[in-house]
Amino acid sequence: MDQFVQAALIGISLGAQYALLALGFTLIFGILGVVNFSHGGFYMLGGYVAYSCVAFLGLPYPLAVLVAVAATAALGWVFELFLLERLVDDHLATLMLTLGLYLVISTGLLTVFGPLSMEFAFPVTGALHMGPIYVPRENLIVLAVCLTAIAALWLVLYRTDLGRGLRALADDRAVAMAQGLRPKLLFPLAFAIATGLAGLTGALVTPILSLSPGVGDPVLATSFLTVILGGLGSLEGAALAAFVVGIVEAFSSVYFGGSIGALVLFVLVLLLLVFRPTGLMGRTVRGA
Amino acid sequence: MTELRVESLAKRFGGLRVFQNIGFTLPEGGLLGVIGPNGAGKTTLINVISGRQMASAGKVVLGGRDITNQPAHAVSRLGLARSFQQTNTFKSVSVNENIARAVRFGGRGAPVGLTRMMDTFGLTPRLHEISDKLPYGLQKMLGLVMAFASAPKIVLLDEPAAGLERAERQNVDTFVQIVRDAGTSVLIVEHDMDLIRRLCPRILVLDAGVLLADGPPAEVLARPDVIAAYLGEAGEA
Amino acid sequence: MRIKLLGWTELVALLLLSSGFVVPVFTRSVLAYSVLNQAFVGVIAAESVWIMLRMNLLSFATPAFMAIGGYTVAIAGQHNITDAFLMTAAAFLVPALVAVPLGALVLRLRGTYFVLVTFVLSQIMQLLIFETPGLTGGSNGISGVAAVTLFGAELGTNRLVLEYACGLAMVATLITGVLTRYFHQHFAGIEENEILAESLGLAVWRYKALGFVVAAGVAGLAGYSLVNMLLTAHPSSFDSSTAVDFIAYTIVGGRVSILGPVLGTGALVFATNLFGTHGQYAQGLYGVLILVVVLAARGGIAGSMAALWRRVS
Repeated sequence: MDQFVQAALIGISLGAQYALLALGFTLIFGILGVVNFSHGGFYMLGGYVAYSCVAFLGLPYPLAVLVAVAATAALGWVFELFLLERLVDDHLATLMLTLGLYLVISTGLLTVFGPLSMEFAFPVTGALHMGPIYVPRENLIVLAVCLTAIAALWLVLYRTDLGRGLRALADDRAVAMAQGLRPKLLFPLAFAIATGLAGLTGALVTPILSLSPGVGDPVLATSFLTVILGGLGSLEGAALAAFVVGIVEAFSSVYFGGSIGALVLFVLVLLLLVFRPTGLMGRTVRGA
Repeated sequence: MTELRVESLAKRFGGLRVFQNIGFTLPEGGLLGVIGPNGAGKTTLINVISGRQMASAGKVVLGGRDITNQPAHAVSRLGLARSFQQTNTFKSVSVNENIARAVRFGGRGAPVGLTRMMDTFGLTPRLHEISDKLPYGLQKMLGLVMAFASAPKIVLLDEPAAGLERAERQNVDTFVQIVRDAGTSVLIVEHDMDLIRRLCPRILVLDAGVLLADGPPAEVLARPDVIAAYLGEAGEA
Repeated sequence: MRIKLLGWTELVALLLLSSGFVVPVFTRSVLAYSVLNQAFVGVIAAESVWIMLRMNLLSFATPAFMAIGGYTVAIAGQHNITDAFLMTAAAFLVPALVAVPLGALVLRLRGTYFVLVTFVLSQIMQLLIFETPGLTGGSNGISGVAAVTLFGAELGTNRLVLEYACGLAMVATLITGVLTRYFHQHFAGIEENEILAESLGLAVWRYKALGFVVAAGVAGLAGYSLVNMLLTAHPSSFDSSTAVDFIAYTIVGGRVSILGPVLGTGALVFATNLFGTHGQYAQGLYGVLILVVVLAARGGIAGSMAALWRRVS
């Protein structure tokens, strides 16, 4: 039973991280129609910026996280505005551009920081003991920040004019443009929000997991699994699927160990594609 | 016998109703016009019949065979072709290659009358030109010819005259003529009332997703409810 | 209309590849052999990517199917089956058969799903290898794979291995060339205007699935060639990140003709070897080149050369 609760807590905490990543990814796909292969790159970049701020500038960790968010959001904004924007309607071209950016980011980090893992530790240590259940404090903090960020994103998307504009663009770009929404302004913004979220996740999670060039690949794969499961472009689906992925992963690693969890998830995704191609919270998004 | 029968067909997007309870029969060799104000659901009707979009309810029966929600290529292979409202060709290749692809993809060989059609529209001397470089009117005619090149039993035409100059619209008449000579039936969605009047012995009127009227044009266009549906669209045709 | 089985681009590609038989006449340099061997494996893998790119689909699954082809041969070698013809057929057919149900499943969906699923697929293949040590040797792989035999004679020397890799690359080029020539209209129709092609009666998903199956088989040949070169089937040879290399070869080379993957692979494998021991930085170069090609030179190397040729003549 204790093991069960423990696994559930790990699952929820993983789910919150995955949700931040998948929400950004699906936001970009929904609004721009772009599959962002550089998502894992922004996650890594967030980790390295936070690390550099702490290690070289001596900034306190919370401030370093904010700098990481700002830096990844800014890079995302610039990349969208100056490169992606030109070819935004060409699905294959945007995919290749984000792939190219990912390679440049990961090689850049490799060149600057070397291939080894960084010594980047979470500033808060220790654990909460609730009876026989043991929860590391760092996981609780990360969970709290992730949930706050998800809530903030929800508020922005569903309670502000900006959010209404973004969602209208995702629903039907032609109609939204006819109503006077300007993709030229909103696209870079949406991309920046999403990459900022990836940077935030990286800055929060890499001190707990690990920080080395190459940690972006599995992040990208998990984001893909999550958004396929949730239905491409669906925000609710991505959030729900993130927790499914997190919990499956946690339980399978506690009870089976190894990489069975990822295999189980993949089979789950394949079955879903057969029986419900639009994902958990499926809706038909425009063709791609 | 290849008759197209549509029974209580409906299409919804989420909560939005595009059309509902549409029913009609297009007999073999028949010619049917469909008119209606913008947003009446005419293009979506063609999309649903041809398998491009899923029906929410109802049936489409082609030659006694239920083809509702069959994929677009399967519907086309069964002999139901369609044209598109915008110019729709393979833009980077020649006229010749466009026709060749249409014939090969259709899998039934080139129909009788294809050469005559190409000659009539002036496409024959331009066989080797890239289709994207053709004047707009010719691109549009090429799109129609491609729909016919798969030797269909029925063609659905989505606003074939839209965007054409008045002088070019005669080509649509010729197209319909040749298609019918080949024994193919035609359903034509159009805004050009003159064209509808001179071609179609029978028309359907669609308004806000429901079938408002079905009958000979002279009779249907005189009905007060049809006139009311078109009020404010007077300048359109 | 006459349908050609091979055009001049395929013939030039085959001619370029035949360098594998010419170079050993002039040099025995280990470096030259190694670079050529890498290039031959890369060309086959890039052709696998290129087949799908002909239909606007980007595949990250190449390493997964390479692994299936490579391990098939390695496992057969453990049972003393080494015949060149038999192994070539097996390295092609086994991955192709695995691709049939996968392709039928994924290719009914929109193109974006294809990209995502192929990416996840190559990650999963890694896990599968680690999880099945009984079959694949797990993280140790299968080492000491027996050399291939042709009519009973062992192809054991460096030169024969190179020539065999060259032969495999030419076989893969023939298969790829014949497929894309024979179905040129279908693939080009799907690439340019899928909706129109479908409404004209083309069962689009069926041709995508066909392409996927052949691409898987061709990738299997690449895996075979790699295992034959290293005499080892190891999970690191089929790392999912290598998918990006093959995509880079293809895009940088150009997608208009089969010369693209051939020239792109040649250029990038050569460039990578200039980095010497710092090969891990090569992906940065690939990234920059992909950005340049997509933003400024859409035809890649082959397309730009063709454009230049047209301007001159």
